[in-house]
Amino acid sequence: MPEIEFTIDSTTGELQLHVKGIAGPACDDVVRLARELLGKPATEQATAEYQLRTHVRPQVQARRSG
Amino acid sequence: MSKYLTFPDVVFKDHRLLLAALTDIGFPIAEEGKNLPLYGYQGDPRPETAEIVVRRQHIGHASNDVGFTRTPDGYAPIISEFDQRTVLGGAFIPRLRTAYGEQVVQEVRRRLHGTAIRRLEGQTIQITVRY
Repeated sequence: MPEIEFTIDSTTGELQLHVKGIAGPACDDVVRLARELLGKPATEQATAEYQLRTHVRPQVQARRSG
Repeated sequence: MSKYLTFPDVVFKDHRLLLAALTDIGFPIAEEGKNLPLYGYQGDPRPETAEIVVRRQHIGHASNDVGFTRTPDGYAPIISEFDQRTVLGGAFIPRLRTAYGEQVVQEVRRRLHGTAIRRLEGQTIQITVRY
């Protein structure tokens, strides 16, 4: 199940969010929503999971005919 | 897919959520308009103007007006150094940012039709939204 984990430091009010388990454009939709409500983030870091999923190349196998 | 985003700037992007956050920390009465004048604790006009103003009568007898001026990045607070040190025990900005963050979480949960689980670990609030 996709989830967003928000962490707020109540001594400063600083907010961090971590988008987890959301594939493809759906993740960007969440990031867009966060930007709409919170503004431009100071840092935006794709995790290893993000890299793994976005750099998978589709494999095409040629079919033999006849 | 997974991403980390951090928001350290003191700016409040959403007008409605800012008003709700002000209410949450005990300031439910705010004036809204364009270029509203700000006054100091003796009723003296200050050079700044703002689009959202909490008047000093609703803050404390020695306080100045607190305003929020619209910038391209959102609403930025205009608060005197004195009020930063004294209002809400010197925690006005951190408490407003925290309340605003919690309002944002609830807005995200509503828009995604999800559920939220809130945990408090020391001074850190962790809220997980699942949808």
